[in-house]
Amino acid sequence: MAPISIRGLSKRYGNVLAVNNLSLDAIQGEILGFLGLNGAGKTTTIRILLDLLRPNRGNAFILGHDCQSDGIRARRNIGYLPGEMGIYSDLTGRDVLDLLAGLSGHAVNMSRRGELQERLEFPARDLHRRLREYSTGMKRKLGLIQAFQTDPMILILDEPTEGLDPLMQESFYKLLLDVKRSGRTVFMSSHVLSEVDRVCDRIALVRKGELVLLSNVEELRKLAARSVRVLFSGDVPAPAGLPAGTELIETSPQSWNLEVQGPLGPLLRVIATLPVRDIEIEEPKLEDVVLKYYRDGAR
Amino acid sequence: MRSAALLFVYSLKRVRTLALTAGLLLAAFQLVLIFVAGSIQSSGGFNQLSALLPPFARELLGPSVAAFMSFSGIVCLGYFQLAVMGALIALAVTLATTPASEVEIGFMDLILARPLARHWIISRTIALTIVVTAFMLALMVAGTWTGLRLFAPKGVQWPSATLVNSLAVNLGMLALCWGGVAMAIGAASRRRSVAGGAAGLLALATFLLDYVGRLWQPAQSVAWLSPFRYYNPFDLITGNALPFKNLVVLGAIALAGFATAYALFAQRDISH
Repeated sequence: MAPISIRGLSKRYGNVLAVNNLSLDAIQGEILGFLGLNGAGKTTTIRILLDLLRPNRGNAFILGHDCQSDGIRARRNIGYLPGEMGIYSDLTGRDVLDLLAGLSGHAVNMSRRGELQERLEFPARDLHRRLREYSTGMKRKLGLIQAFQTDPMILILDEPTEGLDPLMQESFYKLLLDVKRSGRTVFMSSHVLSEVDRVCDRIALVRKGELVLLSNVEELRKLAARSVRVLFSGDVPAPAGLPAGTELIETSPQSWNLEVQGPLGPLLRVIATLPVRDIEIEEPKLEDVVLKYYRDGAR
Repeated sequence: MRSAALLFVYSLKRVRTLALTAGLLLAAFQLVLIFVAGSIQSSGGFNQLSALLPPFARELLGPSVAAFMSFSGIVCLGYFQLAVMGALIALAVTLATTPASEVEIGFMDLILARPLARHWIISRTIALTIVVTAFMLALMVAGTWTGLRLFAPKGVQWPSATLVNSLAVNLGMLALCWGGVAMAIGAASRRRSVAGGAAGLLALATFLLDYVGRLWQPAQSVAWLSPFRYYNPFDLITGNALPFKNLVVLGAIALAGFATAYALFAQRDISH
């Protein structure tokens, strides 16, 4: 049983089809990155999972429970971080954490909360301050603590690193990897492709409400072309022909810039006979593939 | 159930300063009113005041003019003075539109992402509105009896406990009625200001309808539509018993509002 399962989900706002026949599963113990441009339907999908929005068609399941007809059970084991933390500013951080832990039906695990505070560098004294005195980053940290504090089986995170400084992002990534190692499933939307590349096992990319890509990050990286720069010790003419999957981007008498999709062997065989001084190979980036999907959608 | 109770306690905690401040102000108003009534009584000014009443006011007050222009009548004014009624109704509307406010700022996302059924949000809001309204009225009644003990001239006739309680109960039901209307509107709204504004405008329109209906014969045929028609303090101060029908009508409007709120909130999309 997939921790999160979405089947033929559609949601319409008037004439706008926000989510269109979306189907996907999250596998237990993985971090699934949910990507898409603004308005692609990411947040709508997340809100349907939480039964905040009602779909026009299709179903979503969490741990086998239908998010709409059996929503209470479906939400029993969820930690949720919204894109924007909407909290009354007259509450203290501690009020918020206690209330939300209580509403989760779990006793407050103070040692877990303390550990999270430590990892996210959230001083205990700040919990007694009112939220109106919090910075954006502090509110984000509080949001992360409330989502993780009950150690839920599933974490649904909407743009989790928005507003976090680089050091805190680093701590957050470590936290994510730890919860993954403990068998938790993370479903996170993000715009930060380097972050997705780094922490996600798979990505699901939505465009105009439709799933256009669902893939393992490793496999996806293989789809990306590597940049290869070959430097020569003497003048070399432009190549007459190159192996399949290799594209010449730029050439000068003493260097070639190429893009290679697939194995490098055939190219190396071609240049072996030339006076090569150096070769610079840039590893393929997930970004390159994902941006292509984004751009294709924008056209 | 435990989660709903927790949410109720949290909500109560959030409004405690507002409720306490408003309640104490209204209680203080009773004290001031009694002090003023005592002064007028001591100076024998009620007869002169009565003579100064313009004809339209006499028509509006009808046979209750004598009862109203007395120490007891002025003490009772604390339960139907426009500002007092407005404050209580405004507070009930504010509390009843709590769900709309929570949707607006996004707090509802965090609440409903927990294993909590939506109906508990409305149940919590109903309980909150009833408890705070009752608390305000209790402070007002306490203010009245404290004021009477402190400032009532010797020998003057106090309003009976039945009269004060009847006014308080009827006023409380009127506030709850508007709470129910506001809750129904708020259950489908994304903005508290929209829900509160709509309920407030409706209250103002129906108040004017009732007012006009009391002065102008043709308007009487539709004045029954106004909830304010079912709070008639002048009848009460002339010694009539609190009509059960008034409580039933106001209670029925409140219940219909609550039921509508349950239905709307259960079906709506939560988006801010």
